[in-house]
Amino acid sequence: MRKLAYILGIVLLASSCQKVIDVDLNEANQTIVIEGNYTGEDSTVRVSVTLTSSYFNNDPSPTVDNAVVTITDQNGATTVIPSIGNGLYELTGYTPDYGTRYTLSVVSDGQTYNAGCLMPAPVQLDPITYQYLDGFFGADPGYVSILNFQDPANTTDFYQIVITENQTSFDRIDQIQTQDDALTNGNYIQRPLFLSDLSQLGDTISYEFRTVDEVIFDYTFQAVDIAGGSNSAAPGNPITNWDNGALGYFNAYGVSRDTVVIQ
Amino acid sequence: MKLLLTAAAFLLTTVVFSQNYTISGSVKDSTNGEDLYGAQIKVKELENVGALTNAYGFYSLTLEKGSYTLVFRASGFDSKEVKVDLNEDVVIDLELNIPKEVQEIGPVIVNAEKENDNITSSEMNVTKFTPKDISTIPVLFGEQDIMKTLQLTPGVKGAGEGNAGFYVRGGGADQNLILLDEAPVYNASHLLGFFSVFNSDAIKDVALYKSGIPAEYGGRASSVMDVKMRDGNKKKFGMSGGIGLISSRLTVEAPIVKDKGSFIVSGRRSYADLFLKLSPNEDQRNTQLFFYDLNAKANYKFGDKDRVFISGYFGRDRFGFSDIFGFNWGNQTATVRWNHLFGSKLFSNTSFVYSNFDYEFNIGTGDDGFGVKSSIQDFNLKQDYSYYANKNNSIKFGIQAIHHTFRPGALTGGNSSFNEVVLDPRYALEVGAYIQNNQKIGTRFNIMYGLRYSGFNLMGEGKAYEFDEDGTLTGERNYGSWESIQYHHGLEPRFSASYVLSENNSIKASYNRNLQFIHQLSNSTTSSPTDVWVPSSNIIKPQIADQVALGYYHNLKKNMYRISTEIYYKDLQNQIDYRNGAQTVLNDLVEGELVFGDGHAYGLELQIEKKKGNFTGWISYTLSRSLRTFADIDNGKEFPARQDRIHDISVVLMYKLNDAIALSSSFVYYTGDAVTFPSGKYEVGGATLPFYTERNGYRFPDYHRLDVGLTWYFKDRKNFEHNMNFSIYNTYARENAFTITFEENVETGETQAVQTTLFRLIPAITYNFNLK
Repeated sequence: MRKLAYILGIVLLASSCQKVIDVDLNEANQTIVIEGNYTGEDSTVRVSVTLTSSYFNNDPSPTVDNAVVTITDQNGATTVIPSIGNGLYELTGYTPDYGTRYTLSVVSDGQTYNAGCLMPAPVQLDPITYQYLDGFFGADPGYVSILNFQDPANTTDFYQIVITENQTSFDRIDQIQTQDDALTNGNYIQRPLFLSDLSQLGDTISYEFRTVDEVIFDYTFQAVDIAGGSNSAAPGNPITNWDNGALGYFNAYGVSRDTVVIQ
Repeated sequence: MKLLLTAAAFLLTTVVFSQNYTISGSVKDSTNGEDLYGAQIKVKELENVGALTNAYGFYSLTLEKGSYTLVFRASGFDSKEVKVDLNEDVVIDLELNIPKEVQEIGPVIVNAEKENDNITSSEMNVTKFTPKDISTIPVLFGEQDIMKTLQLTPGVKGAGEGNAGFYVRGGGADQNLILLDEAPVYNASHLLGFFSVFNSDAIKDVALYKSGIPAEYGGRASSVMDVKMRDGNKKKFGMSGGIGLISSRLTVEAPIVKDKGSFIVSGRRSYADLFLKLSPNEDQRNTQLFFYDLNAKANYKFGDKDRVFISGYFGRDRFGFSDIFGFNWGNQTATVRWNHLFGSKLFSNTSFVYSNFDYEFNIGTGDDGFGVKSSIQDFNLKQDYSYYANKNNSIKFGIQAIHHTFRPGALTGGNSSFNEVVLDPRYALEVGAYIQNNQKIGTRFNIMYGLRYSGFNLMGEGKAYEFDEDGTLTGERNYGSWESIQYHHGLEPRFSASYVLSENNSIKASYNRNLQFIHQLSNSTTSSPTDVWVPSSNIIKPQIADQVALGYYHNLKKNMYRISTEIYYKDLQNQIDYRNGAQTVLNDLVEGELVFGDGHAYGLELQIEKKKGNFTGWISYTLSRSLRTFADIDNGKEFPARQDRIHDISVVLMYKLNDAIALSSSFVYYTGDAVTFPSGKYEVGGATLPFYTERNGYRFPDYHRLDVGLTWYFKDRKNFEHNMNFSIYNTYARENAFTITFEENVETGETQAVQTTLFRLIPAITYNFNLK
């Protein structure tokens, strides 16, 4: 009987397979990619300007060092963000005014690109807790950390959470966890945040808890879908706050942090 | 106006003042008393005069006083001749016999009858099958499937492995009206498309209308697939079934009162997961993956004029993993019908139909668990009349009303962090009225012309939203119970004509307009039971399809070969797509995530079919395009629809080696589906993302596959026949693409394209029996 099950297993399950294939793709025109991050925590604006490349080309992305990059606050005051080479631009000591909009502008190759972003005030993160779980789906048993915070009831809020376990930071756009309050507005939120493996005794877990604009929440959500090999019927580039066809995003956010050692 | 007058003149010229009498009655299968649908009654003495039986086996034919020879014929049966001296109205109920030789050799139909019905028939542009026609064609897991076989005919394309649904002449999968005993079936698949919900043992026949759709059908833009359940053996008890590797089935049928009423109950259950229980792996032991379904029908004849039918379908798919995750979905339908005969010329059918589709998933249990539910539910009342006016005209007319309830989703939780969310249900009343005449003009010309009026009233209680062109909410309004939010309506002209050039060839032409008021939104390249149905509203306009089609039909070598050539052009308005990155789950404002556009499709379909002899089968080829234009997609540039398969070839061959063994094979080849691939990549937020430049600008690799089958008929005993079916799906193990994803290799960091194939070679064995 077991043999029959084995045969059936082969028939049913082992019949499917995955393989890497060659696909002949068109060459798209090079398009500008602008990633801007303004964190209230260290009052620094960091911008990178690069270009798209061929899909199967594994060289690093081409960078743009001769762009003019500026940031403008809600009152119209514009500050230049100087180039620091390798496609990067950085402005330090730029004090945030939470709850207001900032506009990032890039002029490159005769084209001007603008992105606006609301910079929400940080929301206080309560101490991280954790819980022991038996392994499931074949995983080893261990601990999952739990996000705890009071969602403000009077605002519609969007969050990004960057988890760091020991020395490893899960800070790539497709690893960042997201939370909104569409189904939970005004609640006290307690949510387990899973990593690919459960944590073990002695591990240190840190959260960088960001309050972000809605467009950034949507962008993160879509980037996760696309980077993971999208199965959407209509895959598209994530909707960005950049105009004029630029890719990337501009994220101005507040930060609150906590760390816990599992013991 | 001129057209109307001409039409009226046509009608009137046929009413002459001589003595006319009516012959009416029913035609049945002598072995089990089942009604024969589409049986022909021809008058030998008069060219192009005759009648067809309707779905209930009823016919009516009015002739002048005189002596006639009536020939009763049906595909797969010996014909019968009846002489009649017509000087009063007569009733002739008849049973047709299956030829003796056919009974002995099993399923391959050998019909000595001259068959040029395809040439002379007034019925147009319809593909018909009975389960018997297809019983030897090899299919996945050895399970006979009428929907899969339809996909081997020209103009009909399966949505691909692992996908429910099919595409007809460039239309979407939601544009097919699938009816089971008049009840709409919203999700016609089990196990995500590997099986259809139609259990062949319980099915009498299926008809697919691709164009020239009769006016009695409405509500979908592309096609109608009309599936009729068997009535059950009226003569004696019967039992049949099959045992396969994946599933088994059993059918029981018997008379309630001999020749007056009968019932049939047919069930199936798949049990692949039972084998998982034997697995040493606990996770596999805790996995649930099965479906079951049940068809039941009963009918009873009260006197000569009245007959009542009750039929139902219940099916459920369950997929689960211990108590962590559960997902189940299914259809339920029920139909109650009452046939009544007014005199000998007016046939009435009243139907009450219930249909429901729902899905549910649950994650976790107890306080931390939560679940999501969604459903669509219909109550449908229909009144149809057939009036057999005279020997040249038969008129159908009727009215219909459907009450729809859409429950797009509800999230319920314990005391988890989620708030309970219940999306507003939406209510609508869909109405229809139609009239249609089938008319014979002279001996060679048949026309069908009809008009349907369809209306759709979206009603409260509920909210209606308004959005700006970017999909941002700009306003909302509350409506009370039964208060109209939006009324959409329109006229749908239907027309088809055939002209017999000779007894071996004919031409046919048709035009039809179809309106569609409910739409299925699918956000994925693979279909899922969670694809939601949404009603037309103040935002969503009804889809409109206009189609013209032209065909030429030619039979060769005494009807041994049938060749058909058809061309069509279809214009589609108000097509629906998602915005890029749409949020579709539990979203009350899903209408803001939609964009609207137009489309058109055109094609050429060729088929050569051999109907007689030990060697039968067909070759079909379709050359077609299906294109869409949306202002909000690619700046209004035209792009191919996903189902834009340019070339599509099917070859089906069946060979009867001897009385014991029948061989079969089917081969399909088609251009890969249109799909969106990236044309570049970029780095952002530490990740590499694909850069998309155009919608559906690429193609999957071409799809092809060969299946073979062998059916071994054991020597029959009296009242018992049985056989063993062996089949191999995808014989040369072609790795056809189910999905292609673009991703970063975790180890090397290099970008790559990964293709997933669902099925390579799959052998299957099924044992079938029939106790008569």
